[in-house]
Amino acid sequence: MIPEPLPEPNPPLAHGAKGPLAEQGPRAEKSAGYWRETWRRFRRGKVAVLALLFVLLLFAVALFAPAIAGTKPIICKYKGSIYFPALGYFNEDWENPIFKKSPFRGIFPKGLKKDPDSWALWPLVYQDPSRRIKAKEFGDQPENQTGDLGAPNRYNWFGTNTEGIDVFAQMVHGTRISLLIGFVATGIAAAIGIPLGAVAGYFGGWIDAIISRIIEVVLCIPTLVLILALIAVLEKPNIWHVMAVIGFTSWPQIARLARAEFLKLRESEFVASARALGVGRLRIMFRHILPNALAPVLVPITFGISSAILIESGLSVLGIVTSPDMPSWGALLNEGRNSFQTMWWMIVFPGLAIFLSVLAYNLIGEGLQEATDPRLREAGK
Amino acid sequence: MLTYIVRRLLIGLLTLWLITFLVYGLIRNMPGDPTVAAKGGEDPSRKQDVARYEKLKEFYGLDKPWYVAYWIWLGHTLHGDLGYSDFQHSNVTEAIGGRVGPTLWLSVTSLVLAYLLSVPLGLYSAARSGRLDERVLATLLYMLYSLPSFVAALWLQTFFALKMQGTVFELPLFGMTSDGFGSLSFWGKTIDLSRHLVLPVFCFTYAALAYETRFIKANLHEVLRQDYIRTAKSKGVGPMRILWRHAFRNTLIPFVTSVGLTLPSLLSGAVILEAIFSWPGMGRLLFESITARDYPIIMGLTLLFSVLTLLSQLLADLLYSVVDPRISYS
Repeated sequence: MIPEPLPEPNPPLAHGAKGPLAEQGPRAEKSAGYWRETWRRFRRGKVAVLALLFVLLLFAVALFAPAIAGTKPIICKYKGSIYFPALGYFNEDWENPIFKKSPFRGIFPKGLKKDPDSWALWPLVYQDPSRRIKAKEFGDQPENQTGDLGAPNRYNWFGTNTEGIDVFAQMVHGTRISLLIGFVATGIAAAIGIPLGAVAGYFGGWIDAIISRIIEVVLCIPTLVLILALIAVLEKPNIWHVMAVIGFTSWPQIARLARAEFLKLRESEFVASARALGVGRLRIMFRHILPNALAPVLVPITFGISSAILIESGLSVLGIVTSPDMPSWGALLNEGRNSFQTMWWMIVFPGLAIFLSVLAYNLIGEGLQEATDPRLREAGK
Repeated sequence: MLTYIVRRLLIGLLTLWLITFLVYGLIRNMPGDPTVAAKGGEDPSRKQDVARYEKLKEFYGLDKPWYVAYWIWLGHTLHGDLGYSDFQHSNVTEAIGGRVGPTLWLSVTSLVLAYLLSVPLGLYSAARSGRLDERVLATLLYMLYSLPSFVAALWLQTFFALKMQGTVFELPLFGMTSDGFGSLSFWGKTIDLSRHLVLPVFCFTYAALAYETRFIKANLHEVLRQDYIRTAKSKGVGPMRILWRHAFRNTLIPFVTSVGLTLPSLLSGAVILEAIFSWPGMGRLLFESITARDYPIIMGLTLLFSVLTLLSQLLADLLYSVVDPRISYS
């Protein structure tokens, strides 16, 4: 069989015309590392790059959430000192305790009025993710509506929930949870899956047989049984526990691919030469093989991020996981589920956020797959 | 061939034992137990006497450590007795059997629909590869593929609740049958059931449709690059005939195995979708049993799902050698 590509519209003659120089280009780049090569190929997929930009945007939103929606000034001057109260959204201890006392009690515009020399830089939207805004609290911004009346308006872009808390503010602050779930859970899964797969693939034999059996067993147990049982054992699960549990249940896919890569690469020449030089096993595995196996292994990791987000929001929709202080997108959906007959905004916006982030991670995974799979790579040329 | 099957079955039995042992240990270590609900809690009408509580404890093997109780469960199971569920007030086999129907209604309908639509769509995409309409279709399918089905389900429910109420397109949002289903005529029953099926089946179908279409198209792409396709083309075979008789037939190997691997999901249902649509299927039974700590049912379902998964993997591997004579296991 001759591996000839499909007949191209451009005959080779046109190629030959600009031959030598064009040939020179890629040949000179060949010395570029595997990673740069992968990145170069990844960049060619416009949609995948767009998806990557979207994820970076999500990171920016998570990082600057207190500056986008909040009731605490980003920076303010009060009685001669400069404060950054918005940091309190990340960690309560980072907010100066004087703002908890009178005349503030957590409400900044009122308290700052006591000092005529004070000034403040306010977040883009004056709304809080955990409490309802009262009338005249901030300029002449009206009170947040509750329940059915809380449809999206000028002040509440994505409406308000049954208690009158702004949905936009909750979603902006929930971005952090979504990203944490995706990356921490998948990080745990990778930390378990890659070493297990590496050992199984590199050593083979009975070690491989045992690890493969474990992978099969974990893949066979209904995910929900596994996750619910683990969460139930924890009694009072918080969001970190959920991340850990998702990580502990989703490593088999990563382990399987890592195993396949190590199985393939251990026969390669550079491993043989490293072995001939007397390099130790661990060093061969993690210094020589792993960097070459990592790009393909990144593919199931990226898909793992989207499935971690799916699992978390699914569990939240079922009402299994609850995080009262900082609701995730899935928890918002669950809240909306109880009143979707009237409060459509509680379903549409959080659902859209989950959909877009899952789509973005899938597209990145797809782009990586195309950039690393040699078969698809040939087809793409 | 026979040795291969026997070896696979033996390994499968070992895997099954490991799975059930692990799951039994896990669920027995969840806080709370099935007798808590039986003890009554706040509901005075459900208060049980001490003797009954002790009987239940013994019945669930709670008086023994889990690794001892597991062997008792295993012994009963090997004798074909999966136990009795105090919550469903029936045998485990009957309780599970009662949920098979509703789940199959959903899964078989949507699977058939998905394959009926994905084969022509896949062929169409492969034939018009790279054209504008194919690109639009591919983008649309990818969006559908990434749209979580529970998000779609909630969107649809909201849309039908807010916009379609009172119009001809009004559809029931929950459950499998309306009140007074039993008194309807045969046609009335059929119409009622199909109206309840529309939204859940749609949510089940679209993701599978998107996935299968992409799968078929990718396989066709691979086959279309083969030499014998070029030979057929140079022989003067028409494009439709090449696509259908020469290319599609050769994509059947991965296709058949993918069908084989989806078989367990026919029965396992989808926990979240069944919860959203209040559908009385297997997924909901699993969810209810876990929250109620109904050990016999959880174990029965785990056993069923694992057997199905392992069997379908074996079936897929065997089908390989049936469809493709180049592969043999001897």
